[in-house]
Amino acid sequence: MSAADKGASTSQDSSSSDFEHRIIALGQSHPNGISDKDMAKEIPELPAAQRAVIINKLLAQGYIDLFNQGGVLIYKIRSAKANVIKGGDNEERIVFSIIEEAGNKGIWMRDIRTKSNLSANQLNKVLKILENKKMIKAVKSVAASKKKVYMLFHLDPDSSITGGAWYCNEDFEAEFVDILHQQCLKYLKQKWESAKEKEPDPIAAKNFSYASAQDVWKYIDDLGISKVKLSEHDVETILNTLVYDARAERNVTIDETVLFRYVEPLLSVVGLTQFPCGICPVLFRCSISGMVRPATCTYLTSWLQEYIDSA
Amino acid sequence: MSVDCGILCSKIILEHFGGVVKTVAHDLFKVSSKTLSNIVATTKLQRSQVIECLRILVRYGLVTYKVSLQNPKIPEYSLSYEKVLLFPRYVRYMLLVKTLYGDEAELLIEELLRSGSEKASSIIVRATTRLKEIKKEEKNVSLNIVRDKLILLMNKQFVMRCPEPLPGCKEIPQLIIKQEDLFMSPSLSLKELTQMEEGHPEVPANDVTLRVNFDRFHQEFRDNIMISAIKRRIDDNAGELMRVILQQMYIRTEAWEPISNPIPVVEIRNAVHKVKTNPRLAQHLDQYLKVLDEDSSNFITKVADSGGGQYVVNIREAFIQLSWAAVENIVEERFGSKAARVFRLIKSKHFIEQEQIQQYALIPAKEAKLITYRLLEECFIQIQELRKSMSSAGPNKTFFLFHIDIDQVVKKCLEICYKALTNSMVRRQHERDEHKRLIEKQQRIESLTANLREQGAPADQIDELEELLTPLENEALERVRIMIARLGEAELRVDDNMFLLQLYLMYSNCK
Repeated sequence: MSAADKGASTSQDSSSSDFEHRIIALGQSHPNGISDKDMAKEIPELPAAQRAVIINKLLAQGYIDLFNQGGVLIYKIRSAKANVIKGGDNEERIVFSIIEEAGNKGIWMRDIRTKSNLSANQLNKVLKILENKKMIKAVKSVAASKKKVYMLFHLDPDSSITGGAWYCNEDFEAEFVDILHQQCLKYLKQKWESAKEKEPDPIAAKNFSYASAQDVWKYIDDLGISKVKLSEHDVETILNTLVYDARAERNVTIDETVLFRYVEPLLSVVGLTQFPCGICPVLFRCSISGMVRPATCTYLTSWLQEYIDSA
Repeated sequence: MSVDCGILCSKIILEHFGGVVKTVAHDLFKVSSKTLSNIVATTKLQRSQVIECLRILVRYGLVTYKVSLQNPKIPEYSLSYEKVLLFPRYVRYMLLVKTLYGDEAELLIEELLRSGSEKASSIIVRATTRLKEIKKEEKNVSLNIVRDKLILLMNKQFVMRCPEPLPGCKEIPQLIIKQEDLFMSPSLSLKELTQMEEGHPEVPANDVTLRVNFDRFHQEFRDNIMISAIKRRIDDNAGELMRVILQQMYIRTEAWEPISNPIPVVEIRNAVHKVKTNPRLAQHLDQYLKVLDEDSSNFITKVADSGGGQYVVNIREAFIQLSWAAVENIVEERFGSKAARVFRLIKSKHFIEQEQIQQYALIPAKEAKLITYRLLEECFIQIQELRKSMSSAGPNKTFFLFHIDIDQVVKKCLEICYKALTNSMVRRQHERDEHKRLIEKQQRIESLTANLREQGAPADQIDELEELLTPLENEALERVRIMIARLGEAELRVDDNMFLLQLYLMYSNCK
């Protein structure tokens, strides 16, 4: 901006601020951007020279962005959030906007680099500055513990990054899940047992033994074993694992509520697994003669000894 | 047919028939069929020995023969290894008959199993003699009762006639029996039987050769598996209902059909009302039928509403379900409950990626990977590579999907069963060999004391002889006895497992 322009602009100060507001309003009503020509059409009373002055001013202040779309220059109003970046330089602004686009899923550093065309060193510096300004934050992903993703500071990371309720600082809480698993099983089993006792009618007994995810969720919530607030969906995930353990059956009603009930497996015990060979880890190295052989097998010996001791 | 299966067959034959027969049987196991001179050449046994072995094996139905394609004048022999694998199950056959028809029937079946195939008259006579030995006090053992029991067993199709050579046959006899004659009981007069019992050598006129009908026993075992599964899944009444339905099924359906013909509810209701022991079942019959129909096990399905409803029994489906349960149980015991969860998850999703496994099964990523790869390593699950066809480059465009080929897994489990059975038999023999000296000593002392008792020797002399076996030795003998008993018991259990898996393979092949 030259000094002569500046002098001209001060003389028409009041009218220029008025035009400024009109241009911003115009930009806001065109979120996809507005070209110079359109702007001239919308505000015909504004002379081209003064328009250029105002736009230059707005650009410098970071209120609008200039884009080149198919050879035509387009002005876009910058979102309110982006104003946070005001003080930063161009690199920071670009990196910030890339991270902003990624939303609460976050974006990996390498992807920022390819998108922004910055060198690794430069990008590191920029990211550090932004982090210090508390504009963005780095979150560790559960999918890969060494992979950091960046997202805007105020966002809550997506459950695919944190892993949902089952993760505490990117560690899977196996014990917590196991306890919940046992409690869910206990609840369903109790319901099944009481149904069997109370109801003489087999259909009524079966219907009574069903529990919805919400019922189980309430039960778990009342127990107060969870520090974290679990959602109904979380409990359903646990109940699904019960289905995969063949301890429960899943059923969907007409109004799409998912119901679960305890079931007994079809077979109680399988003969093979009660014999050491059925669960032997070295079974496939075992032969009639050789190092591993049934005649001297330690597993068999201890299994037989156990029986002799108990007899 | 695998190496393990071959070893097991050899072991079984060795235990029941001795070393020479084993050599012949093992030689036959390796090929589909072989002529006599070929067997002689490969086994290096004497021709007469091989003939004797084949005679024994044919008599037990373990070896069959057919006319050679190259030379119509000589037969080719082949081993039916499935029949050899039935030997460990003999105890169960006897037990089943005993619970159904009593001691006489058990002895008859035992004699018949022991000799493979035998003339009806001599079976009756032998069973009666043994029965008299066992029940010395009871006077009511007679040829008459035993004969009637045999006829009953034939009517119930547990025992059947052997095919007989066509009269006027050439070099190779053709064995033939008419379907309607198969379970016709022979008319044996008491007079002839009594003569035989007293030691007359002549054979009764209407005598026939009999053998055990294994299929009929298997049918009984199969039904019991289904009934007890329903009992576990729902309750005792439902199990009882399942029994009634299966009984009704046989009226219209061949025993080994994969899906039964429709059974009208009216017939089931009548049958349930006849069994008066279960008032609760009769009261809630419709509900129980509905529960059975709706249960995820899918044993029965409603097919039509006519005449109050008609149901079919999905035997094939039932055994697919049961085998899955068995395989899942084996996975659970071998690799832990988390592995069983992963296994069932893959089953329900059919094809699934590694990442989804840990997500759905709620297992930490590292552990989930470990489990999946172990299952893969031991061939319980398979991997399917899926390349994106459009892009040629880059390994990241490939998906690795895990899935289960149940036929493969069942066969795998069967192999484990074969191996387990072999190992148990080997171990049993080993324990016996280890304590051979002691066992022989005990037997000698026992026979001596028995002799002395018969001669009326004084008690202190017998005691003195019995004390030759020291308390330590007695203890060792007791240990061996317990061990052998335990191994025998385990063999029965493994065989039970094997039966289920074999049924699955049978049903999955008949589509």
